[in-house]
Amino acid sequence: MKTGRKKIGKVVLWTILIAVAVIQLFPLIWLIDFSLGSSNEMFTNGLLIIPEKIRWDNYAKAFVDGNFLLYLKNSVLINTLAVILVVIISIMAGYACRRMKWKLNNFVKTMLLLGMMIPIHATLLPNYKIYNTIGVTDTIWALLIPYVAFSLPQGLFLMTGFIESIPMELEEAAVMDGCGIYRIVFQVVTPLLKPSIATVAIMTFLNNWNEFMMASTYLSSPTWKTLPFSVLEFTGEYSSNYAVQFAVMALTAAPAVIVYIILNKHITKGVAMGAVKG
Amino acid sequence: MKKLYSNKWVIFTLVLPGVLVFLFAILAPICLSVYYGFTDYSGMGEARFVGLDNYVKLFHDPAFGRSLLNSLLLAIGFICIQHPLAMIVAAVLDKLQGKAEGVFRCIYFIPNVISVAVIAYLWKFIYNPDFGLLNNVLKVFGFEGQVNWLSQENAIWSVLVVLIWHGFGWGMLIYYTGIKNIDPVLYEAASIDGAGWWTTFSRITLPLMKPVIMINVTMAIISALKQMETVYLLTNGGPANSTQFAANYLYQQAFKAFKYGYGNAIGVVFIIICVAVTVLLNTVFRDKQEA
Amino acid sequence: MKKKLIAALLVAAMSVSVLAGCGDSKKESTKTGSDNKTSASADAKGDKADDKEDDKSGDDTASGEDVTLKLFSNLPDRKNGQGLVEQMIIDEYMEANPNVKIEVEALDEEAYKTKFKAYAMDGMPDVVSIWGQPSFLDEVLDAGVLAELNEGDYADYKFISGSLEGFKKDGKLYGLPRNTDIMLIYYNQKMFEDNSWEVPSTYEDLMTLCGTIKDAGITPIAMDGGDGWPMACFLTDLLVKVAGTEHSNIISNAISTGDFSAPELKTATQLLVDSAAAGMFQTGYDSQDYGTTQNLFTNGQAAMYCMGSWDSSMALNEDISEEIRTNIRAFTMPVVKDGKGGANDIAAWNGGGYAVSANSAVKDEAIKFLNFMYQPDKLSKYGWENGVGMSAQDQSEYMTGNETELQKQIIEILNKATSVSGTPINDCGPSAFKTAIESEIQGVSNGSTSVDDFLTTIGAACK
Repeated sequence: MKTGRKKIGKVVLWTILIAVAVIQLFPLIWLIDFSLGSSNEMFTNGLLIIPEKIRWDNYAKAFVDGNFLLYLKNSVLINTLAVILVVIISIMAGYACRRMKWKLNNFVKTMLLLGMMIPIHATLLPNYKIYNTIGVTDTIWALLIPYVAFSLPQGLFLMTGFIESIPMELEEAAVMDGCGIYRIVFQVVTPLLKPSIATVAIMTFLNNWNEFMMASTYLSSPTWKTLPFSVLEFTGEYSSNYAVQFAVMALTAAPAVIVYIILNKHITKGVAMGAVKG
Repeated sequence: MKKLYSNKWVIFTLVLPGVLVFLFAILAPICLSVYYGFTDYSGMGEARFVGLDNYVKLFHDPAFGRSLLNSLLLAIGFICIQHPLAMIVAAVLDKLQGKAEGVFRCIYFIPNVISVAVIAYLWKFIYNPDFGLLNNVLKVFGFEGQVNWLSQENAIWSVLVVLIWHGFGWGMLIYYTGIKNIDPVLYEAASIDGAGWWTTFSRITLPLMKPVIMINVTMAIISALKQMETVYLLTNGGPANSTQFAANYLYQQAFKAFKYGYGNAIGVVFIIICVAVTVLLNTVFRDKQEA
Repeated sequence: MKKKLIAALLVAAMSVSVLAGCGDSKKESTKTGSDNKTSASADAKGDKADDKEDDKSGDDTASGEDVTLKLFSNLPDRKNGQGLVEQMIIDEYMEANPNVKIEVEALDEEAYKTKFKAYAMDGMPDVVSIWGQPSFLDEVLDAGVLAELNEGDYADYKFISGSLEGFKKDGKLYGLPRNTDIMLIYYNQKMFEDNSWEVPSTYEDLMTLCGTIKDAGITPIAMDGGDGWPMACFLTDLLVKVAGTEHSNIISNAISTGDFSAPELKTATQLLVDSAAAGMFQTGYDSQDYGTTQNLFTNGQAAMYCMGSWDSSMALNEDISEEIRTNIRAFTMPVVKDGKGGANDIAAWNGGGYAVSANSAVKDEAIKFLNFMYQPDKLSKYGWENGVGMSAQDQSEYMTGNETELQKQIIEILNKATSVSGTPINDCGPSAFKTAIESEIQGVSNGSTSVDDFLTTIGAACK
């Protein structure tokens, strides 16, 4: 009796898990499937197709005409810089607000955290004006500044939490040895913050990797365009060729998915840590 | 030691980059928005001061009302559909051991790392009434499969489905972490007492998950308010503003209708609403947590 | 553990940049191009271009300073139709002027218009696509962001008379028209013949025909209703048939007073609503974009397709299967019952074109390029050869007799025309009106707003 119920329970359990997995994955399988066919094979009734001829040239077109390498390089570069800046700035500010003794520490911290409540898109219009005036539109700064600004509050929030949990004794010892504050921050405290740095880095990366609203407003030449542009530009360029559009979508999605699958344990841990705390 | 830790110059240099970024990238644009919100600036030429005109107009603008209503619908959708599902799946996943657990967790999270640009275009195809995946699925199950997923009545729900699908892994992961953090001794005790799965879930898991649920609900409401990118690419607010959201609307007004001033007024109200909602939620939940 | 993660991230980042190294040469050049633009030498360059313009007279291949021209275009498809033509001319110009580099940024029409307005605030590219219509141009010209052109220069460019009017303000010329656009209903001739369907001569016939086609399980008309403007053009076409030549007065009256209660407007809107309700358009037309709609027709899923004459290059697009592409034909909106407009009163206008930015640092080079494009044997001739439809210049000498059947039909339509509508309704008012009507027309056509509410709302947007 009991084992029977357990068996049913197991079946239910697996059914739920597999059903959800299918829902989450099937659209992507569909995407890849059709990206290998030709456009008129779209208009069939079945769920998936077996392409008459596997057309890798769809991907070749997507790769070349979608400026894939350039945009990928830009994305990686901009996001890496943003992550580094966010980590450094949040450690510095976090340390100053948590450990240093000054009157305005709480005020400054609250002010910086306020950024978390501000919807990023509300700054699109005024920032466009500002960036135009100072001439940073169509440069890397037009993306770096807002990316850093809007990831900083979360980074700072996480960092202050972690800094607090570091025992004071270590720093006291360092002071006895005659270390200055800068050395304490970067050589004593920072190495202890490694797990939190990973968390902040992952959260920042995920926040900004897929952003395109600001990119499409502030950028015009291909020099700094990021990966989502491969898709955005392609729908116009190849409006009459669905298969190639599918190929460019699959290609654009690939780098993040592959990196995620490789690092999945670390990323999920990082997200879990960051999100539950944040 | 104390002297070292209250060195004004050191403090100043440590805080400066953060404060500069905040002033330049967040505070300055907000101030500029407030200024332009009081003008009839079209984006070019001269700006004329018009007092509260933009705000008066905004409160009578049905499209803006619709944007807020849509945010509310979305938030309700997240809370009533996505979160219970995510929580159940998280609880089920917790029962699994070994490799399968990691594999499923990984699969569920994959849509999350894919660019919104790809997701929106992909779902545009999925919703296509003629050859889209969804209608083809319906046909396989013997239905007519002629549903117009992005019609004026359906569009907002279709947008919701995309967002639920895209964000499912994130929500699931957080609940999963919450469940993992529950002391296993409690479960052992319950199973010794002969409690069934449901009793365990509702008596132990749910109550202990309260803080996690609160965080998730807050995030759901805020992300519903801030929604823009998916909608911008999937429907651009249409048909007839039925999927309009505040962020998308202010963008449209400023850059399509040449009402930069009005767009900024929307931006200002939008910021106020976001801040107010966040503060409100935090207060409510903090009180609850203490009670 | 974490150390490994960071290391892995770094390795990933580095391997990507190493990979990216392969394509560097190409990137390097674009980079220097844009650096040039932002550098302080911009002014100096402008001056140099000035000098060159002054003393060149005829010497086109002057090897002066390197100049980068930014062209902002609404033609993202650079391999077919109009975009191909534009790119051909650009390549030709760069070859003739090795010191000039032309960078193209191309976006879809809707995205283009949005970004154009952002650019209008500041930083307009040197050469831009524009539309000679009040909704687009009025505010732009008021702000003075476009350079004035010397109308005298174009005396022998063979522009069709009146085609420059939309690009003028206070008698001064600010842009040049590219096309003569005619609103058409394309149809699949083979499909029509196979099913023995007839090209309708009245709107009632069209409605009946659509019913028959729908019963056969085919979409009657593919309509790009996700963007509001094609339906607004359709509405304009109906209005022409309802009100005849009176329609432009009715529209301009309505827009200046904000009162859209004229019975003709009501009748025309009602016709659109009835047609949509009867299933004339594809399921989900009100949320589908340009490409999706066109593909519906070019893949044989729809029997007809409502779009302007610029799309006649479909007949030469090799991405479309030959059976369909050689069978594309077109007719104009049939007459409506009790309407004042005749079969040859057509909806047509000179809409799209090009202009030069007033603040361009390389304005003279930009104008030189503009003039190069409009030499009659460039845009006009290449356009004709690539089946793009009618240009705004006299094309008669490029007729070879080898035109596609579709092109011949379009010439005939234009030759027979007894009147042309001018600017479509959505483009007659300020851009706030355009935004309103293009959004509201979706709601009224799908039946979620009443005709009266629709007319009131768009009226309110005029005030």
